[in-house]
Amino acid sequence: MKKLIVIALLIPLALMLVNCGGPPKAKMQDIPEWYLNPPQAEDVLYEAGDAAKMSMALAKEAADSRARDGIARAIEVKVSNMLKNFMQQSGLGEDAEALEFTSSVSKQVANTVLSGCRITKREMKTEGSQYHAYSLAEYNLNPLIQETLNQAKKQKSLYNEAKANLSFDDLEKEIGKLEAVRE
Amino acid sequence: MKRISIVILPIVLFQFCGLFHIGGISEALCQTLIPSWFEEIPKSPTGIMLSVGYCGKYQDKNLAKQVAINHALIIMAKQEQIRLIFEVEEFADGRLRLLNPTFEQFYEESILSRIMQDYKVLDSLSTEDGYFVLLSHPSSDRLSIKSTGGKSWGSQPRWTKELPGSKDFVYGIGMVGKYSSCVRAWKDADEYARFDLGKNIEIEAGSIHAVQRDNRFIIESKILRQSYDTTLKNSIIVARWYDAKEDIYYSLCRQSKPVSD
Repeated sequence: MKKLIVIALLIPLALMLVNCGGPPKAKMQDIPEWYLNPPQAEDVLYEAGDAAKMSMALAKEAADSRARDGIARAIEVKVSNMLKNFMQQSGLGEDAEALEFTSSVSKQVANTVLSGCRITKREMKTEGSQYHAYSLAEYNLNPLIQETLNQAKKQKSLYNEAKANLSFDDLEKEIGKLEAVRE
Repeated sequence: MKRISIVILPIVLFQFCGLFHIGGISEALCQTLIPSWFEEIPKSPTGIMLSVGYCGKYQDKNLAKQVAINHALIIMAKQEQIRLIFEVEEFADGRLRLLNPTFEQFYEESILSRIMQDYKVLDSLSTEDGYFVLLSHPSSDRLSIKSTGGKSWGSQPRWTKELPGSKDFVYGIGMVGKYSSCVRAWKDADEYARFDLGKNIEIEAGSIHAVQRDNRFIIESKILRQSYDTTLKNSIIVARWYDAKEDIYYSLCRQSKPVSD
């Protein structure tokens, strides 16, 4: 009799413990292929983002914004590298002013308006009571060239022209070459 | 002994059902019968705009029709011109993660008044779940939609997973899930689709990331902010789809690409 009661009490306890494993984790087969291996292209940037939330709308918003943030950060790195390459090729070296200029322009470009950054793919999975959203953001690099030029011109005052002899005409030509962006 | 068994059995059953999600709401609460133009809006001649209005169950059919028409008129005004203000902020410091999206929309009363003076009901359908109406503005005899009665939802369209690519149009997708009211769900899915379209046109993005590492842990802190304030013109909800299996409502919004693109 007592044994029966103990067993009967242990069953719900065991089931409760099974439920106490924290939020369910995403199964590998549920994760979209494009999230694990985002597509690669010469003139297009791709970044993936994901978020798990109780509300589907919130999960979508969070996943989208993280994917777009990934694009903004990738742009910063790309523009920074492009300007650094130009500085080195022009023989300007990496003095403090040159680095500040490079950093300032790349940050401004990255923080500026992302035109045409689209969420091209999206998948919504359910994990227990949560929604797990996966988003893939796509950004065409062509508008980036003009934006970099605009910001470089705006930030010109940061750079001591007399000392560094920086030619903005050369910079314009360099940025105009899409190949430089595609590196 | 019997009494104990009676008490314990429901507890065991409750736990078992909770564990395997048995006995939940499995039947879809959404409309099962819809007009074809609710699922995909027909093409309209240049200069004529179409909009779809809907409402839930009403005892009085005339009242249902009026509510659906009023809804379609507001949608038409939004389609013609709407100002959208969107902002999302995310804070994360390794322990706490906060997401704060805000959505604001404004449409012109003057546009609504103008539409109310010149519109035509092209088709309507009354089902057990509600009332649907298709309007055109301006009212024109050039366009006639033949009523095909109700139909059930088709198979999952490709746009629910992949944004359509087009030289001429920009698209946005809205999706919501697990709503008790399908009317509320469609309204939200339509609005989210419009906001998504705005994001795909232009958005300001900025973020600060910091990573702290020690021998055992990596703590990532992040402040992210994205926003836009834009006015959409001629943005139309062109398609809808309901995933009865997962209880998800999808809306697809479309607008011609801005000339500057």
